[in-house]
Amino acid sequence: MANLYIDNVHKSFGETHILKGIDMDIADGEFIILVGPSGCGKSTLMNCIAGLEQVTTGRVIIDDEDVTQSMPKDRDIAMVFQSYALYPNMNVWKNIAFGLEIRKLPKEEIEETVGRVADLLQIRDLLKRKPSQLSGGQRQRVAMGRALARDPKIFLFDEPLSNLDAKLRVEMRTEIKKLHQRLGTTIVYVTHDQIEAMTLANRIAVMKEGHIQQFGTPQEVYDNPANQFVAGFMGSPSMNFIRCQVVDHQGDATIAMSVDGKDFHLPIPQQEKGVRERVGQEVVLGIRPEQITDVVPQQEQASTLANVDAEIIVTEPTGADTLTLIRMNDQEVNCRVHPARAGAPGDTMTFMINMDKAVFFDLASGDRI
Amino acid sequence: MTQSPPLSEPTRAVRKVHKPSLGDRLAEQIPRLVVSPTMLIAVVFIYGFMIWTVVLSFSTSRILPRYEFIGWQNYQRLFGNERWMVALTNLGIYGVLFVVICLAIGLLLAILLDQKIRAEGFLRTVYLYPMALSFIVTGTVWKWLLNPSVGIQRFGRELGFENFRFDWLVSSDMSIYTVVIAAVWQSSGFVMALFLAGLRGVDDSIIKAAQIDGASRITVYTRIIIPSLRPVFFSAIIMLAHIAIKSFDLALALTGGGPGYSSDLPAIFMYQFSFTRGQMGVGAASAVIMLMGVMAILIPYLYSELRVKKDDR
Ligand SMILES: Nc1ncnc2c1ncn2[C@@H]1O[C@H](COP(=O)(O)OP(=O)(O)OP(=O)(O)O)[C@@H](O)[C@H]1O
Ligand SMILES: [Mg+2]
Repeated sequence: MANLYIDNVHKSFGETHILKGIDMDIADGEFIILVGPSGCGKSTLMNCIAGLEQVTTGRVIIDDEDVTQSMPKDRDIAMVFQSYALYPNMNVWKNIAFGLEIRKLPKEEIEETVGRVADLLQIRDLLKRKPSQLSGGQRQRVAMGRALARDPKIFLFDEPLSNLDAKLRVEMRTEIKKLHQRLGTTIVYVTHDQIEAMTLANRIAVMKEGHIQQFGTPQEVYDNPANQFVAGFMGSPSMNFIRCQVVDHQGDATIAMSVDGKDFHLPIPQQEKGVRERVGQEVVLGIRPEQITDVVPQQEQASTLANVDAEIIVTEPTGADTLTLIRMNDQEVNCRVHPARAGAPGDTMTFMINMDKAVFFDLASGDRI
Repeated sequence: MTQSPPLSEPTRAVRKVHKPSLGDRLAEQIPRLVVSPTMLIAVVFIYGFMIWTVVLSFSTSRILPRYEFIGWQNYQRLFGNERWMVALTNLGIYGVLFVVICLAIGLLLAILLDQKIRAEGFLRTVYLYPMALSFIVTGTVWKWLLNPSVGIQRFGRELGFENFRFDWLVSSDMSIYTVVIAAVWQSSGFVMALFLAGLRGVDDSIIKAAQIDGASRITVYTRIIIPSLRPVFFSAIIMLAHIAIKSFDLALALTGGGPGYSSDLPAIFMYQFSFTRGQMGVGAASAVIMLMGVMAILIPYLYSELRVKKDDR
């Protein structure tokens, strides 16, 4: 168990700068999720924490010790690699036991640990097999097992569940969460899965092109994105971005919107003071699909609501909700409606827009206003 | 509720049946047509001559082939011949040392070259270069180097070590070891290339994982990388072993089988009995024994190669 402090870490491979000043202060026992588009440097950052890559400049501090120059084996970290990295010449049992043997644990303890981990990951039947005789999902679980067999200061997980089937993935997610609650070990975890990110994290770090865009609790990142990139990256289906103008309507700043040729005004929430000052300017309105729904009568009185009739272009039933595509200001907008109340493509239906959680971005920079 | 149509009808009418055109069929046959002459030549000149040799080994042939059969007599004479037994013993010494030393040096060089050093391409070529020479050239060069009156011994003495001795080439006890030296010099670069390719095939992240597990560099090599090179070891041993059995030109150029017949190898024995001493029957018998030796190595190899797809190596 340890805290982890990443201090202005830069990493370049020759002329290519991959990490451009990463700062993270992670408390003991925190579960940190690292998300970002492919190639943004997540694995590189993990390697730098583990000591597999030397940082170009900056410091890595684990448990209040500066380990920037330490060898990986001295950092007491366990890691699950994106590419599994199983030892091809050893069977599953040996793969899991290897790190323990190297650390010279007593035989009985190794036996017991491997058994426990194998049960946890449901790989008891596979212990005798070589990695080449396993499926991708099975390999991934063995890779997890190898890390979980140890009791390190920090766990680093690089997309550890990406190759599992949907059911197993949910099970493993729960297991990881339980494990974290039981052990309380600090975890840094890379994933592309939105649900994993939201459910597991104490805090989420959103990365893009070697910078951390935002580092906060899941709810903060979801409700209060720092910029348009974070807003678009978190959430599935992603947030709608609508270019629109701030206008003065009956003495109040509002958003001018036109749907299917009809003009109307959307209220701006009171807390969005910055936008209220931009009367006459164009901004980007960010609104999540679940904030544009079918009309729910008991909510209709709220001041941040507006109803609008729009023609349905496409519907995508997901089971729980039906995603419905409409056009606002001539831009496509996804709405989430109750399946029973969704119309067919071509129909016109009334949508209720809840502006309570709407966010606004600068047109040029994409920053939150 | 609508009734869904039956899923499959017993006989279904189709509009058109696609048949491969003449051109398609010709294209399919082209590979066979192209290799067939080579195939024919191989059958006649390799397998045909093999069978002919086997036939001759049971005949009374001396200078010229004769088809008068005498059963196993040639084999009896062969194994009664002291010179053949020396050649077999030599092959044992030479074969084992050659294979083991080549593997050791090849692996060591490969591991050293794999440390992301500069000028790796250049060094690789240097080590591989002996492979480009024919065994005759290697033999001749080493004959000079090992000759006590012009080579290493003289060099040592000229440096001031008056009692320096390195006369294995002219000693009947040690001459076979000079063949080992020259053969190792020639082939270990090739073994290095095999191992280097194998090392490059090891996924980088496996090494990283082992480092995180706490393994030292040496442990990473001994416990993970070298064991995972097992298939490479296997191929290298097979290749070296059959080079060893067939060794002829190197020993002939280097020692000529001498002094006396102290560094004779089966291939030299076979050549001399068949073609210079007019004992073709015995020579053919020795050739058949060598063929058996090669097959004893190759057949398990081919067997395992052909079923390697099925399970893990
Ligand atoms: N050893 C290396 N040498 C040169 N460039 C590298 C090296 N390792 C990574 N890169 C580059 O660094 C960038 C970031 O790679 P990284 O593996 O960290 O991405 P990632 O965020 O983990 O992506 P993914 O989600 O696809 O796993 C990539 O553009 C990659 O090409
Ligand atoms: Mg990655």
